[in-house]
Amino acid sequence: MNRDDGELLLFWLVPVLGVTWLVAFLVFPGFVHPMSPTMSAEQVAAFYRDPENLPRIRYSMVVFNWFCIALIPFVSLIVMQIRRMSHRTPILQYCYLGCLTGGPVLFFIANLFWLLAAFRPERRPELTQMFNDLAWVTFTGQVGFLVAQCVFLALAIFLDRQARPVFKSWVAHFNLLIAAALAPASFVALFLTGPIAWDGFLSFWVRNSAIALWIVVMTLVLGKNIYERRREAGIAR
Amino acid sequence: MRAVAVQAAPVLPSGLFERLAWHWRYNPKLEFWIAWYSMVFFYNLFGVVFVGMTRVMPPPQPWWDTPRVVQWFNDNHNGLLVGFGIIFLVSGLTAACNALIGYSMRRMSVSRAFAYSYIAIYSVSALPGMLLTAIALTVGAMRPERDPELIYWLYDMGFMCFVGTMGIFLIGTLVWMIAILIDKNRVLPKWFGYLNICNLITEFVVATSWVFKKGVFAWNGAIAFWVDTAVFAVYTVAFIYLLRKMIKREDFGDGPLPA
Repeated sequence: MNRDDGELLLFWLVPVLGVTWLVAFLVFPGFVHPMSPTMSAEQVAAFYRDPENLPRIRYSMVVFNWFCIALIPFVSLIVMQIRRMSHRTPILQYCYLGCLTGGPVLFFIANLFWLLAAFRPERRPELTQMFNDLAWVTFTGQVGFLVAQCVFLALAIFLDRQARPVFKSWVAHFNLLIAAALAPASFVALFLTGPIAWDGFLSFWVRNSAIALWIVVMTLVLGKNIYERRREAGIAR
Repeated sequence: MRAVAVQAAPVLPSGLFERLAWHWRYNPKLEFWIAWYSMVFFYNLFGVVFVGMTRVMPPPQPWWDTPRVVQWFNDNHNGLLVGFGIIFLVSGLTAACNALIGYSMRRMSVSRAFAYSYIAIYSVSALPGMLLTAIALTVGAMRPERDPELIYWLYDMGFMCFVGTMGIFLIGTLVWMIAILIDKNRVLPKWFGYLNICNLITEFVVATSWVFKKGVFAWNGAIAFWVDTAVFAVYTVAFIYLLRKMIKREDFGDGPLPA
């Protein structure tokens, strides 16, 4: 097995993880119809105490706890593409590397708050509500690293000035578009209703669809690059 | 793959937009300057948000009673929610600062392990540095009708995560300090290496805020907050200036790009 084959293994983890995340997302009862921030403490406690919901909350969040960090190897493959770009310094590569851990680790923390809320749902409703708030604000509002990651990649692509650039320039524009789609979610706590609220159009539907779309599109362009390079290097599939 | 034929850079034009366009196209140090200006932009914004908007610096009293803490959240409701929204949005810019500092160690006569461990440690520095605080105080502010005891708990979480989280900055600073002091390429001056020691010592001193709720060692105290913040401010201004000097000194010429 040569060293590029290892990259293929990491690459083919992505579709597997994508399915895992999608299933966990659908199993968590708080996502399918996103929980409203206007729910009272009693309603939030009832949501966690509901014997139909409780196992689904725990199992889906355990799955996310296992696999949310698994995004990092995938994004590391994008770092390998940035390394191949025609840059004068490794600065943009380091910028991108510095963003990799932030997003998944913050999701990991949100995930802990959800699991804690579900650990003893018989606790005072106000406590369950507080953990639920911490989880949703962390999950929804923490888009900074993902935004920066998209912007740094776009800059890296624009500055990759060679006859055959590593990524075509539409990939840069696409990343900027995703960054813009994620940005409004930062202000999630300002409103309990409307598009910015954590169950709102921008903060929930646009933000999460943008992340899903980003993973799908980047998987495709990354896979194309990896396979093209193998063909050129004459490595048998 | 072949390198693109090098175009000779035209003379720097006048006019702001023309100049920016010129730099975008021809400045061989563009990658550095993007990271450097991102860093300067971030630290300025950090100051505006933490001092001006959220009133987290200087911190309010750790010995207030519960109604006073609830009132503090009510007084700063919008400042907290808007200010920390901005911080959530721009937190990724910290990566630009860490990239430049990591690069400074690549230029030194030291093992790459220094740059790699610095970037690895600091890739999560935004959490103890500001994000955990921002999350706790945002949740504290978002529901004024929440049980006051829980608001008080979020207040403690917010300020202790801000003042009392030390290890990442302690070890990160230590790594940079050792690299600067043993470096033979003189990438950064030795006096700055010693300034790192000051920053490092403050990380030990602030540990007292976990014990004392009043006086100079509390989270808003003369030693645990003011001395610590003054050292951090001097340290930050110094490295922003020194990194600028490092970029200016780099000699790339305008040769062809690596293919």
